Amino acid sequence: MKRYMYTLFSLVILASLLLTACAPKTPAPATAAPATQPPIAPPATEVPPMPKIVTGGWTQEPDSIVPYYTVMSYAWWIAQLTLVGLAEWDENGAYVPELAAEIPSVENGGVSPDGLTITWKLRPGLKWSDGAPLTSKDVKFTWESIVNPLNASTIKAGYDQIESITTPDDLTVVIKFMSLYPPWQTLFAQGPNSAGSILPAHILEGQTGLENHPYIHWPTVASGPFVITEWVAGDYMTLLPNANFYKGRPIIDQINIKFIPDPETALAALQTGDIDWYPDFSESDISTVGALEPNVHLLVVPGSDFEHYFFNLGVTAGVKDAGDNLIANSASDQDGFCPFKDVRVRKAITLGIDRETIVEALLEGKTIVPATQWPNSFWTNTSLQSDAFNPEEAKRLLDEAGYTDKDGDGIREGMCGGKEVKLSFNFETTTKQIRVDIALAAQSDLRKIGVEFKPIHTPAGTFFGGYGDGGPLATGKYDMAGYTTGFYPDPYPFGGDWLCNAPSVNNPGGANPYHYCDPQLVKLFEAVNVTADPAARKVAIDAVQKYIFDNYLVVMMYARANVYGYVDRFVPGPFGFYSNMNWNAEVWDVKSP
Amino acid sequence: MWAYILRRLVQAIITLFIITIVCFILTRLSSDPMAQYANRPGLTAADKERIRHQLGLDRTIPVAWIRWVGLPPETEKKIVDNSGLPIQYINWLGLALQGELGTSFFSKQPVSQLIAERLPLTLLLMATALTITVFIALGLGIVSAVKQYSLTDNIITALSFIGYSMPIFFIALGLMLIFAVQFKAWGLPYLPTGADVWNRRDMTELIRHMILPVSCLVIIQTAGYARYVRSSILEVLSLDYIRTARAKGLTERAVLYKHALRNAALPFITILGLDIPYLLSGAIVTESVYAWPGMGRLFWEYAQRGDFPVVLGVLLVVSAAVVVFSILTDLVYTFIDPRIRLG
Repeated sequence: MKRYMYTLFSLVILASLLLTACAPKTPAPATAAPATQPPIAPPATEVPPMPKIVTGGWTQEPDSIVPYYTVMSYAWWIAQLTLVGLAEWDENGAYVPELAAEIPSVENGGVSPDGLTITWKLRPGLKWSDGAPLTSKDVKFTWESIVNPLNASTIKAGYDQIESITTPDDLTVVIKFMSLYPPWQTLFAQGPNSAGSILPAHILEGQTGLENHPYIHWPTVASGPFVITEWVAGDYMTLLPNANFYKGRPIIDQINIKFIPDPETALAALQTGDIDWYPDFSESDISTVGALEPNVHLLVVPGSDFEHYFFNLGVTAGVKDAGDNLIANSASDQDGFCPFKDVRVRKAITLGIDRETIVEALLEGKTIVPATQWPNSFWTNTSLQSDAFNPEEAKRLLDEAGYTDKDGDGIREGMCGGKEVKLSFNFETTTKQIRVDIALAAQSDLRKIGVEFKPIHTPAGTFFGGYGDGGPLATGKYDMAGYTTGFYPDPYPFGGDWLCNAPSVNNPGGANPYHYCDPQLVKLFEAVNVTADPAARKVAIDAVQKYIFDNYLVVMMYARANVYGYVDRFVPGPFGFYSNMNWNAEVWDVKSP
Repeated sequence: MWAYILRRLVQAIITLFIITIVCFILTRLSSDPMAQYANRPGLTAADKERIRHQLGLDRTIPVAWIRWVGLPPETEKKIVDNSGLPIQYINWLGLALQGELGTSFFSKQPVSQLIAERLPLTLLLMATALTITVFIALGLGIVSAVKQYSLTDNIITALSFIGYSMPIFFIALGLMLIFAVQFKAWGLPYLPTGADVWNRRDMTELIRHMILPVSCLVIIQTAGYARYVRSSILEVLSLDYIRTARAKGLTERAVLYKHALRNAALPFITILGLDIPYLLSGAIVTESVYAWPGMGRLFWEYAQRGDFPVVLGVLLVVSAAVVVFSILTDLVYTFIDPRIRLG
């Protein structure tokens, strides 16, 4: 028996070693790109004693890199390092040129008076990492490949509004839209939240089914500061400098990215120096990472994503417009919780949750309670201030609305729609621990004003499930719900959440999770989209925010924070929410030992 | 014997066929890949509908299953109409045997390639851990059985129960904190925390990366095996033929190793045979904590995203291994125990 076992296990281990040695490893990029070679040594007098190598830890491995074919944040981050766009967002959220020489405007003639034509000018002398020239032809090809029905690109929004792109010369790109497209700045601009990489025509032109093309998974030719030169599935990725990058060769000689799924492991790896930064801590890790100072630095960047609670405002009868006509897709399958139709109840719930204390206690006070759904951005209506916790005022409002505790059980009752209704309702959200903790705090606060708030935590896959799958958001089978979303970098493509487009049996693809249709709000949103001038659009979106704020349509809980930890030796560039940390990797450095 | 093998193979094919259906339905019902797109900036409702169609999520489960098993689209109607099944089944079998497991929803890479990338490192990790486990468990089990109720037996039993009942993530993180973080803080040579295991194809680095995850798996697995060995040996030691052997004047060593152990090994071989297929499935928690790029992580990461083809591919490979190894285990009985005749 022993001999049998010995032989068996020897064979298994031997086979494993052999298989490991023969493991399929995607070959290194076959390119003559200078960037794919080991870093070029500068003249001897400038040679640093050691190559500057930094290692990051990422929770997930990108599935693909080219951002039009994936929705993974990690892929879009890598694209910031390797496949840049015409423009990007800096650490302050300002829109700045990247491959373009300048941002088109009415003043410089880049935006036509009717707003339908945008003309971009590229920087002269741009090159891909393999030395091929990067020209207007690449921009045109990028658009053609996205809208080509033979390519299964994931993201087409906006690109499908372009009527034509012409390229009078190598440096000029003239984009003509079918109709006014105010968020034109989000197209061809690569950021952590915007798919806008320019693709190399000389590699991909003439091919279809690009979703299966090796380049989409692993772009071997780059326009950004770095090129991916090695990628071991599930393990790590190596990027080397692109000597042809338009800003010149980056300072760092090599970036390694390790895929570390467990934040606890990442925390240990930061302490041992196995990694230099980790961008994926959650808000609940803030105190843990903060405790590692001074060897590991904590950086919390409040973002434009926000956690919000909201009311189901659906009505089965639908909504009529000013002409007494039923608005299409305004009817939900079922009515929302009746008391929520009274703004006083909605305001009372908002005032009854101590959001500041929740942020202080559960998020270490590192983020804010925003007033609107456009926090920390150019679009924020800064005249609005979030309501402070005020349980006494909340109680007064509920009394005024006719809800009092008649039976002495601590929960208020009142008449709504001709029936007596208890202020007791379900709250649906996902199972994420921070959501469980915050829901418990909200439940405790609301109980004190006579409101029974009953959290139900559902796995994200079910919670966000589509109409056909019976997801509570889509089917409207919830009273109140909460999750994170964000309307950025431009407010227009995502304002669709508030338009009269509730999912229902007649409209299963509807995109309004609030099941709310308000012609007045729709009109305000429409005003955002009548011009391509950002300043005029800002005035319009300010009005939208004020309307939602005044009507207490949502309870803004907190602006989601991006939590980074990085070791002392690593010197990254400035971080911003719109830019993340990858937007200027060319300036990253390490301290001398 | 050959008739037995043939019968078991036919049973195995039927079992696998049923497994494909059960796994497919369970996986499809367990999560919605579209949740990945729920709140992604830049995606309109029209985009989401288009993606749903591209991923085949708008198909009914029977049609989607037909697509998954690799039958050509034109056979969909025939299958739904319940005609021509044998030929189509053979078609599917042919594709499945060629390793056609579909394409990942999200990475668009062939599932067989994703599995092939992860399988070697998982086998290396799991086989090493199992080999060490078996030798330690045999040693501990034998000592524990021979010295039943002694202090040594009690210590081994207590440690076995502690090891068996400890959550694996606790052991994994504990080992990492001690041998990586604290050793570094104390200025001692320290072990890596994880990931980058296969960098530069450096064997020394690979072995360094293996120490903690292998130790973790050994601690967890040894306890159970040691208990099996102990109880099997104790059972055999009380039988008449052992008394006879002792009466013949054999040394205790000869009684134990030549007579007792061989018979005591049967239940152990059964457990081992059933566990060997899980070498392929990897260890989700250990691989996640130590960022080991293996099958367990592949399964878990893709399952979280609802990437059905990958999840089903891994399930199918592991299921096939379980079926094959259960047959092999039965065959091995005949070599281990001459009393057993298959037929």
